[in-house]
Amino acid sequence: MSEFQRFLAKRLAISIVLTLVAVSVIFVVLRLLPGSPFESLVTAGNLSQQQITEIRAMYGLDQPMWRQYLSYLQSILLFQFGYSILRSQPVWGVLAPRLVNTLILLVPALVTTAVLSSLLGMYVGWNRGSKLEKLSIITTTFLRSTPVFITGILFVIVFAYNLELVPAFGMRSISASPEGYVETFASLDFLHHYILPFTVSVLYYSGDFLLLARNGVVEKRGSEFLKLHRAKGLSEMQQLARAGRNSMLPILTYFALRLGMIFQGLILLEVVFGWPGIGRELVLAIQQQDYPLVQAAVFIMALAVIVANLVADVLYAYFDPTVSTSGGGAA
Amino acid sequence: MSLLDITDLTVTYSTDSGTVHAVNDVSFSIDEGVNYGLAGESGSGKSTLAEAVLGLLPSNGSVESGSIEFQGRDLTGLSERERRDVLWEDIAYIPQSAMDSLDPVMSTGAQIRQAIQTHRNVTDDKARSRVRELFEIVGLDPDRIDDYPHEFSGGMRQRVTIAMALALEPDLIIADEPTTGLDVIVQDKIIDKILEIQDRMDSSLLLITHEIGVIAETCDELSILYGGKAMEQGSVDNVLVNPTNPYTMGLKNSFPEIEEGDQDPVSIPGSPPNLSEAPGACVFKDRCPFATEECEASHPDLVDLPNRNHRSACHHVTKAAQMRRDATDPETWGIPDSHDESDRGEVLLETDGLEKYYEQSQSLLEQLRGNDPNYVRAVDGVSLRVRRSEILGIAGESGCGKSTLGETIALLKQPTGGEFVFDGEPYEHYVDGNMREFRRKVQIIFQDPFDSLNPRQTVRQLVGEPLTIHDYRTDERERAIIETLEKVGLTPARKFLDQYPHQLSGGQRQRVAVAKALVLDPDFLICDEPASMLDVSLKVNLLNLLRELADTEDIGIVYISHDLASLVQVSDRLAIMYLGRVIEEGDVESIAAEPKHPYTTSLLAAAPEKDPTVDRDRVLLDGEPPNPVDLPSGCVFAPRCPKAEDACRENEPGLDTVRDGEHRAACYFPDGEIPADDPADDRSGSAYGNPEFSSPASGDSASD
Repeated sequence: MSEFQRFLAKRLAISIVLTLVAVSVIFVVLRLLPGSPFESLVTAGNLSQQQITEIRAMYGLDQPMWRQYLSYLQSILLFQFGYSILRSQPVWGVLAPRLVNTLILLVPALVTTAVLSSLLGMYVGWNRGSKLEKLSIITTTFLRSTPVFITGILFVIVFAYNLELVPAFGMRSISASPEGYVETFASLDFLHHYILPFTVSVLYYSGDFLLLARNGVVEKRGSEFLKLHRAKGLSEMQQLARAGRNSMLPILTYFALRLGMIFQGLILLEVVFGWPGIGRELVLAIQQQDYPLVQAAVFIMALAVIVANLVADVLYAYFDPTVSTSGGGAA
Repeated sequence: MSLLDITDLTVTYSTDSGTVHAVNDVSFSIDEGVNYGLAGESGSGKSTLAEAVLGLLPSNGSVESGSIEFQGRDLTGLSERERRDVLWEDIAYIPQSAMDSLDPVMSTGAQIRQAIQTHRNVTDDKARSRVRELFEIVGLDPDRIDDYPHEFSGGMRQRVTIAMALALEPDLIIADEPTTGLDVIVQDKIIDKILEIQDRMDSSLLLITHEIGVIAETCDELSILYGGKAMEQGSVDNVLVNPTNPYTMGLKNSFPEIEEGDQDPVSIPGSPPNLSEAPGACVFKDRCPFATEECEASHPDLVDLPNRNHRSACHHVTKAAQMRRDATDPETWGIPDSHDESDRGEVLLETDGLEKYYEQSQSLLEQLRGNDPNYVRAVDGVSLRVRRSEILGIAGESGCGKSTLGETIALLKQPTGGEFVFDGEPYEHYVDGNMREFRRKVQIIFQDPFDSLNPRQTVRQLVGEPLTIHDYRTDERERAIIETLEKVGLTPARKFLDQYPHQLSGGQRQRVAVAKALVLDPDFLICDEPASMLDVSLKVNLLNLLRELADTEDIGIVYISHDLASLVQVSDRLAIMYLGRVIEEGDVESIAAEPKHPYTTSLLAAAPEKDPTVDRDRVLLDGEPPNPVDLPSGCVFAPRCPKAEDACRENEPGLDTVRDGEHRAACYFPDGEIPADDPADDRSGSAYGNPEFSSPASGDSASD
């Protein structure tokens, strides 16, 4: 087994343990919440005691806690998410489309902003003290620190209500009734709805990447190896590329982390733009104590973060040859 | 026509606190095939000059006036694009710090290839084979061209940068302190390599360094810079043998030499000049013992000395012979001659077979199998004794475990075996609740004066902190601080109290670090390469300070360094370490005069000679020290030893294999003795040491 394979196996094992821990925490925390999914129905008097017992038995909620936990573990690790209590349909059927909606909005936005703002960040870091640097830092910091729903509402007011360029709400026109993902997303109408939330999320994420890239390049700018590159006769842009390449690690880490967190959606943004994403769905499910739905959603989110970190670890080894894969310090 | 012509070059930096005049009216020229040296302390403008030639000045630096003509073309007038074409194609550069000057995320081969392909339109394959060729030339394994910089040692990285500089066979190579920060042995090999290659390629070399010895051995001509001014220039033979400028004399005298071990090197007191104004008076006048009113009035012009290639900028050139005589006397420079050997006191620290092993990390599987882990034997059975007012020098290459030894006897690291006695109490006594007492009595001074001081504390806080920690003289805190600052030569002390480290010069910072250690009136001081980052004259100041402390304050000092020359200056006794073991130990005089172990001999031989008329025999050791995890059997030095025979590979010689009074060495075939006809059969005979004492080094050798 090569060093790298061993490193990979170790990281995989750690990831699996982490996933188990996360899954267990979800289970316990949900059970610690007061009330049950049927509380509201009981208080409204719509269910008799006998009906409640029947339903609880149907969902297995009458069994002892450890048995519930075991069957929960067994199913969730097989990606069997069960039935949503309130919606009475398979959890995956509820979550999958919402998740896809979120991802199709946020993944392109994140990639776009990671590439563009990192490049801009590197450029302004290289030309430190320029007007462009100050301007870009102030703008992106402003966008980053303003809550996303404020920026969102502002954009809606300006572009949707005043200029009437784009629709303010939803993913498709109310009249559209597409079947399947292809029909939903491959249409001009979707693009029309897409552009505003996309822009807002690009701007929202831009500040972090810009600052990370800028700081990285600023830090590397005076280093000896760049001086040698310069002495070799590399052009300004080639030197900048080397400086940028050397400050990739923090950007990469942050990108991977963000990518994992995207699975949680941007709840506020989804609310403002009426985007049927996973974040909104999760809030509803928690309010209504829809155990299976919340468990499944949180499981997916945790898994995404863990996988993203794993990917980042592996990419590290590729992007920085000095990163020791054996876990110890460099010899 | 000369290759590089620099005429009246003036370079300034604009900073927040005004203009810094880094280089002032410097002129010199380098002919084809000539090695030219630029010497001077830090802040003398020598690196700035190189950067100006290369066009690598930082953005706040600019060439104010003067010209840099390279093959008849003025480099200062080139556009960015034209300059890029000249760089590397005609002028290549070997940077200062080999450790940081290679791009960490690009393979070494690719970096050289990049240099080639930036200037020549060649295919990847061709460039690759050229890189392999270059690796071979500089003595690196051509199969390693795809390795990354971190996989090479410091010396090998410097070879990579040399290979890079050679890639396009430039006419001029500018080497900026190419060996600073490397061990003597590596430094010697690198210089040898540069000379050998340069001989073959017939290019010119501009060598910038603060080590006069390196220039004396490699260059034909030189300029001595001080405060941005050329103080003296000409052929190396003239300038270094018969300096006519007080600064050159001072610089030469402060460069310690092994042969003159018993003589204190004479340092130049004071610190480099403030460069915030263009020099009106002689830049050296503040530190010059020969300064007169004339020197206040103007900076002297370079004067051609009759009949030789030699120019000096001094108003008193005519009195050069007289000055040369006076300059060797410390009192001329206002340094009191205080060399009275005090008697060495009682034994303060004693170790017997001290060991520090590091366990190597093991995989789970190997742990389950119950395999014994591998150990890195950083310190492997070291027996030492240090008395009061004695300085014990510990020398060795990097990686020989000398720093670990320092940290272990400071109990910053737990010894894993052996005996340790300090001030009559064993190790257990201190671990068992008396650590604070130990920490007060034993102080350590670290290598880097830039990193070992908290940048956000004033000198008062820095020096006062140990007092607070140990609740020592807290009622007269201020006095204790001022006394200590004065003791280390920071006078007037009040001036420094409220300054932050960044406001101090390198030498002053190191003095603050020493003061921090001394403020508790320790009994024992451990110095780990305290001078390696300092300029020669500052280094000499520090060495003299330590010597004085040992003599007057009755403290024992362990001085760890790879610089044998300064160790010889400062120490009473020397211990030479190789791979965690002490392989030779004894009085400084006897080791310097007749080293017994071949390793010591090569260490001594690797130190450059400042007198250009002396030809030094280079003893170039092959290879690098072996892996400390997987040591060869027998003598650990055998694989690199020129004299090794079968006997050496079978049994490890003990430290008592050779002894001559206090002087002991671990070698079957010591230098300086005539070997018998058949040494292998006769190795237990008296010529190779007393058989009673041929126990391993970790034995009871310290008890005699």
